[in-house]
Amino acid sequence: MIRLQNIEKVYRTNTVETMALNSISLNVAKGEFLSIMGPSGCGKSTLLNIIGLLDAPSKGEIKIDDQKTDHMSDKQLANFRNKKLGFIFQSYHLINDLKVLDNVELPLLYRTSSGSERKKLASAALEKVGLSNRVKHFPTQLSGGQKQRVAIARAIVGNPEIILADEPTGNLDSAMGNEIMDILQYLNTTEGATIIMVTHDENMAKRTHRLVRLFDGSQVQ
Amino acid sequence: MIKHLFKLIWNKKKQNFLLMTEMLVSFIVMFAIFTLLVYYYQNYNRPIGLDYDNVWNLGYGSPQGMSDADSIANFRESIKQTIISMPQVEGVSFSDANIPYGDANIGTMIAYNKVNWPSEMYTADDNYQKVLNITLNEGRWFSKIDDASREKPIVINETFKERVFGRESAVGKIMSDAAFGKGTMKVIGVMNDMKDKGDYAGPQNGYFRRMDTSNTGGGGIILIKVKPTADAAFESRLYKTLSNLMRNTSIDIKHMDKERTKRNTQLLGPIIVLLIIAGFLIINVALGLFGVLWYNINKRKNEIGLRRAVGASGAGISKQLMGEALVLSTISLLVGAFFAVQFPLLNVFNIASGTYIIAIILDILFIYFLVLVCSLYPGRQAAAIYPAEALHED
Repeated sequence: MIRLQNIEKVYRTNTVETMALNSISLNVAKGEFLSIMGPSGCGKSTLLNIIGLLDAPSKGEIKIDDQKTDHMSDKQLANFRNKKLGFIFQSYHLINDLKVLDNVELPLLYRTSSGSERKKLASAALEKVGLSNRVKHFPTQLSGGQKQRVAIARAIVGNPEIILADEPTGNLDSAMGNEIMDILQYLNTTEGATIIMVTHDENMAKRTHRLVRLFDGSQVQ
Repeated sequence: MIKHLFKLIWNKKKQNFLLMTEMLVSFIVMFAIFTLLVYYYQNYNRPIGLDYDNVWNLGYGSPQGMSDADSIANFRESIKQTIISMPQVEGVSFSDANIPYGDANIGTMIAYNKVNWPSEMYTADDNYQKVLNITLNEGRWFSKIDDASREKPIVINETFKERVFGRESAVGKIMSDAAFGKGTMKVIGVMNDMKDKGDYAGPQNGYFRRMDTSNTGGGGIILIKVKPTADAAFESRLYKTLSNLMRNTSIDIKHMDKERTKRNTQLLGPIIVLLIIAGFLIINVALGLFGVLWYNINKRKNEIGLRRAVGASGAGISKQLMGEALVLSTISLLVGAFFAVQFPLLNVFNIASGTYIIAIILDILFIYFLVLVCSLYPGRQAAAIYPAEALHED
């Protein structure tokens, strides 16, 4: 499903060159739940951003669903992200000026779907994460766990094949974190979503199929 | 997407209020400026309605030592004959001080069917029309046959005719002097409007009454139509001749074309000052808009990153930000247009509705243009934001 070959990412300034990722090769199968761990600054999020086509590698090749992504235009990349990928972030990244339902509808705005269809899909996604009673709330009126559930609903509303989660439980207590993990596991086992999750938490990582460890930009496990 | 933009704007109404107020104020100020510019432009394009070339205005003071009407009439006739006998002169006409491009304005009120109409009043003799080559649309100019007329003859201009009589013929209609109650007046002709107050001045009601050359009161103006060959030497000779004839009074010769230029400059002066002020205001508004939009982008980097992650392209982000600015300006323009539309509806300042409508349209286009220009660069900057980078900023 996802194939990374010799991925390198170098950040350059006028004086310093930092190797964020060094020759990473990785295959993720369809329906797999993979976690990425490593100390802060080891390149976990950079790797996730590259897989999510939010950042381009300095070297190497990425194939998603047998499609090479390196020659895609900005518009094609955006379209690809919209259709194939769903993102969950540690700090939720909800738009505070939009209600919960509107936040969840966001990915569908970049597709050709009617308002009623968007509303239907967003409501269904919120129901899956157990938040159908909060559709008219603003994000500022929700707890951290609820916010993350909204973010998950937003990630799955477009029915993407791949979900990329960047420390989804990082801002939550363990009980809330476990609830979020339950939802992710449900999406993986029941809905068949391929999930790649960056985490600092060994316990959360243990709940995934496979663990990839990074250290100083290199894959060590 | 439009619905989404409206939702976003509505939910951020407090933050957007200032920006919308700025756009509204700009609209109102620019409406005033555009109205003035359109009004001036339309006036400039109207026919002048008189031939000012080679016309000299000779101002003279009150003749001294003549108290009876006959002496005054004879005195004026001898002056006229002296001037007309000169080979460079094509025509001579007596008028009061309210002449084209002059400094005098004489306003009065005349009534028709018990309705009072404010009007500019001119006094001229039988030759005035020929000297200034004024076109008559109806009826005739003053002549000897008016000597025996029971009602005072008047010639009104086209604007006055249209306002009072509409499409009906005005000739033969009886009006009355509402200001002084000096009897009735009969319309004997309708003349083209003449832009006697300058090329940028608007049309106004005007009527001519026939000059009584035996009138003992005050001085006046003699309009002299000269041949194109009339030069400074002739002007000097004319001055000397008339100075000898009018020993006890002062005379002064002016050229109507120069007076016209002077008058136009006087009218344009305030407009130029206003345009300079407007220019500064536009720069101010543009900088304000640019600043607010720029600030918004920096404040919304997370949101931009998120939108990019969920499927927006760089161009889509740019379009969205410009769209938001356009929606905000549309709301401001709707409010502004509501107030602006009251001007033609209530016929404020007696300016034609068309002038206001054109000004509103130009104003709307201008504000949209300004908003587009000001949001173009911030929009492009937003499009260039790298999603991974934007999502990392908290």
